Amino acid sequence: MNEAAPLPEAAVVAEKLTKRYGSLTAVEDLSFSVAPGEIVGFLGPNGAGKSTTMRILAGTMSGTSGRAAIWGVSVALDPVGAKRHLAYMPENNPLPEDLRVEEYLTLRARLKDVDPARVDERVRRVMDDCDLTRRASGRLIGQLSKGFRQRVGIADALLAEPRVVILDEPTIGLDPHQILGIRDLIRSLRGKMAVLISSHILHEVEQVCDKVVIINRGRLVAQGRTEDLRRELLPEISFTIVTRADAAALLAACRATEPAATVATLPSVDGWNAFRIGLPSASPARESLAGALIAAGISLREIAEDRFGLEDIFLAATRRAPGEARRP
Amino acid sequence: MRHFRTLLAHELRSAALSWNTWAAAGLFLALMGGIHFFALVEGSRAPSDRTPVESTLWFFWLPLLCVLPLLTMRTFAEERRSGTLSALLTTPASPAAVVWAKFLSTWIVWVVFWLLFTLFPLLTSQRLGTPGDVRLSDPSILWGGLCFIATSGLLHVAIGILCSCVTRSSALAALLAFICLLAMTAAGGAMESLPIESWEWLGWLREPAAHLRTFGHLQDFAAGILDSRPIILYGTGTLLCLGLAILSVEGQE
Repeated sequence: MNEAAPLPEAAVVAEKLTKRYGSLTAVEDLSFSVAPGEIVGFLGPNGAGKSTTMRILAGTMSGTSGRAAIWGVSVALDPVGAKRHLAYMPENNPLPEDLRVEEYLTLRARLKDVDPARVDERVRRVMDDCDLTRRASGRLIGQLSKGFRQRVGIADALLAEPRVVILDEPTIGLDPHQILGIRDLIRSLRGKMAVLISSHILHEVEQVCDKVVIINRGRLVAQGRTEDLRRELLPEISFTIVTRADAAALLAACRATEPAATVATLPSVDGWNAFRIGLPSASPARESLAGALIAAGISLREIAEDRFGLEDIFLAATRRAPGEARRP
Repeated sequence: MRHFRTLLAHELRSAALSWNTWAAAGLFLALMGGIHFFALVEGSRAPSDRTPVESTLWFFWLPLLCVLPLLTMRTFAEERRSGTLSALLTTPASPAAVVWAKFLSTWIVWVVFWLLFTLFPLLTSQRLGTPGDVRLSDPSILWGGLCFIATSGLLHVAIGILCSCVTRSSALAALLAFICLLAMTAAGGAMESLPIESWEWLGWLREPAAHLRTFGHLQDFAAGILDSRPIILYGTGTLLCLGLAILSVEGQE
């Protein structure tokens, strides 16, 4: 990496990006950014426009309107300049079948302007990092399993130590051990490279990413840190309660503490009644609910706050109308 | 330029290791070997104005139509189909460097095929000819003809590359190249055979038609006549086709 270059405010900028295919709008008015060294998850249902957006950012497809910039360089005006800062692994990760892994990575290193004196060293390094050295370095790419092919794609992305890495579904087709390895690898890039990663495995994204950008039908529906999105998109917190009390008694006890509380009946557990109590997320009753219920004479077998994960955020975000998202 | 050299070396290496190249080489040598054999047999039966080498070179259109499309068809069509072209274009290598590298490597392979062909007349002359008699190898016609093949090959390969750029199907690319090369090879002769003289409104075509005589160019080159017009024709045609190919690749970005 060129350490002397000034640090831009954003490593990746998408500004009012739009892509139309005739009457079909794949991406519309999409704006988001990725800060240097930040790992951002790019989420959306199938056909939401994730791959199209990533291809526009990578310069392999031109947008209809809007601006895309990589490390401050416009992708449309200076595609070669932008590509010097970028590595992109597309969704299906196309690789030449008739090259050996080491040959392929050496070729890619030369094309990516890696210092000729460092090509061998970089190739060995990324093959080690992606666990390719022992089992795949001398094999033809066409003979590799899906998992090893994904690793070759990721090794290629890291080869030239780019400022920005865009990975479209990097863990697709990998087994759980490989996913863990790739997750650790991506984590290790935090602070060194800006990473934009799309994945259908929301748990992975939650584990690895600093923030998420969620799109639906080509438009931004949410973006920010998971915690912030949880507050924004899931305004209610909930508790699951297993008790002998009935719904009316429970509701009365809850309302005494928080007038906006709601109670929903769940299937009974071992003959005990189960309920979900909903409270506004800012309600002070969150901390005192258990005590208040016991004080009201409600016998509790279990009480636990429901943890909303990225899946719940994703579902809530993709259900709401495009355009409701806050601007970056 | 560094990318171009890297890509050219890669393309040459891929060509050398590709079954497609070896199959094309086999077909080429079988075709030209067969033609040369029959030219020798015919030459031994009856006296002819043409030497065996000249007769063989006259059939240059046969490998041009049957073998060259096999070499060019996969250059871009296969890479577009598999997606590796998109992956290649995510690097700082420009579409122009990619097109020029594929063009030049294919042209080099094409010229190497023809250099291999020279073994037929040279070996025939060495084995069957008498010392000092050059009629069987006919070096002036042989090397003049090869200069024509190399010069016209620039445009022929560029046409094949362009055809490969516009489709994802290698078979369709080969068919397109076959049609374009057939039209190009036959155009001059066909236009000359038209009664242009009697159609006044087509009179302007007379001179351009004369410039398109592919077989006339072969005759001139083989006779050692260096005319700049066909060289300019093939040169500008090559640049035009490659320019269109670059635009086509850029359009896929």
